[in-house]
Amino acid sequence: MTRRGGLTAILAVGLILTSAPALAAASELGGFALPWWIWPVLLFVVTFLLGIVAVLAGVGGAVLFVPIVGGLFPFHFDFVRGAGLLIALSVAIAAGPALLRTGMANLRLAMPLALIASIGAIGGAYLGLALPVEWVQLGLGVTILGVVGVMLRSRKSDFPDVPRADVLSDALRMNGVYIDFVRRRKIEWRVHRTPLGLALFAGIGVLAGMFGIGAGWANVAVLNLVMGAPLKVSVATSTFMLSIVDTAAVWVYINQGAVLAIIAVPSIIGVMLGSFVSVRLLAVVSTAQIRRVVIVMLLLAGLRAFLKGLGI
Amino acid sequence: MSGRKRFVSPEQLIYGVWLDYGMRACLGILVIALTLYMAGFPEPVVPLEEVPRRWSLSAEAYQDLIGIGTGWAWLKVAYRGDYLSYVGIALLSTLTIGCYLRILPLLLAMRDRIYASIVIGEVAVLVLAASGLLGGGH
Repeated sequence: MTRRGGLTAILAVGLILTSAPALAAASELGGFALPWWIWPVLLFVVTFLLGIVAVLAGVGGAVLFVPIVGGLFPFHFDFVRGAGLLIALSVAIAAGPALLRTGMANLRLAMPLALIASIGAIGGAYLGLALPVEWVQLGLGVTILGVVGVMLRSRKSDFPDVPRADVLSDALRMNGVYIDFVRRRKIEWRVHRTPLGLALFAGIGVLAGMFGIGAGWANVAVLNLVMGAPLKVSVATSTFMLSIVDTAAVWVYINQGAVLAIIAVPSIIGVMLGSFVSVRLLAVVSTAQIRRVVIVMLLLAGLRAFLKGLGI
Repeated sequence: MSGRKRFVSPEQLIYGVWLDYGMRACLGILVIALTLYMAGFPEPVVPLEEVPRRWSLSAEAYQDLIGIGTGWAWLKVAYRGDYLSYVGIALLSTLTIGCYLRILPLLLAMRDRIYASIVIGEVAVLVLAASGLLGGGH
């Protein structure tokens, strides 16, 4: 096995090994037979590994955290979703400064889209907290399985062809320049189909708020495939946008009492430290292999959420 | 000015700097608050060994049981171990509002009315969400 393959396997096995005791304890011991401190420690380890894997695979931490922790840990789904949003927010805030400084994320592209998505996220958060948990689990399962479909089928484009900017993106000056150091050239970009993009971002906001996930996977697809932003700009702007959109939804969860410190804080610290480590691992780990592991994990987590929603 | 920064707008650079400082401060507060909480100091509202019996309750049932109340009611007990972390969480969830307010004067000075309006709109939406005035939920 190569060094890169070995690291991938270690990360995957680590996640399984740390999650398995949680499942066993939750299902067999009622979730509270173990000493209380085991749970935050386990949560920290799982989220630290999730932070590494998620960033390497190009997905937000919450899309893995909510179905995995919601399915394997004994916490109520309300608290898992509250922590999930805080995780997505933390990863975005940790990565945001560098993405903005280097020009990979674009503030002017993000701001109008984030405003629409924020309004959707607040609506989604209230809807998610008002609906029966089983319905939300079922919806989450379907959404996660949809994410797997998007990850398997989408053929993203590094530099989509945008013949000309639309009137709205032109008025909002949603364009920019960045330096691609791999290709050693200056990339000028613009976007089109902005009204459609805005409508889709309203829907993405609802999903993010309802399920407590960042929905970065959907942001990237809309920015890149619909609006025609270069892939790097799409990924970076999507990550940064989560810091705005998830702020709106997370306040709904805080105000409804759906944030429990013992679940949220170890998770936030774990995922932030994990995302710092992942940046250093980028050079030695095969992101393609990590992506495959994440797709399998999402498939299993999505199926588990779906079955839980059906009461199975 | 470096090659990269030449293509980055001044408001974007300032936004990034404020986000960076805010993120570091919040992470520090959360680490300290969690350490104190795990050490049982100051005394939490819900004893640590009791929490696992309650975290499988819905948010509504949990809040009914401990009787602190929702919204900003946690501020009344922010000095207790389990609610000390809420200070860090609330700050983390307020960073975006601070960054937006920081760039608003820049946009107004540039007479960029469209983006200044977007900033005001976003801040209004986030403050409304944070205020708890929207109600709803369970």
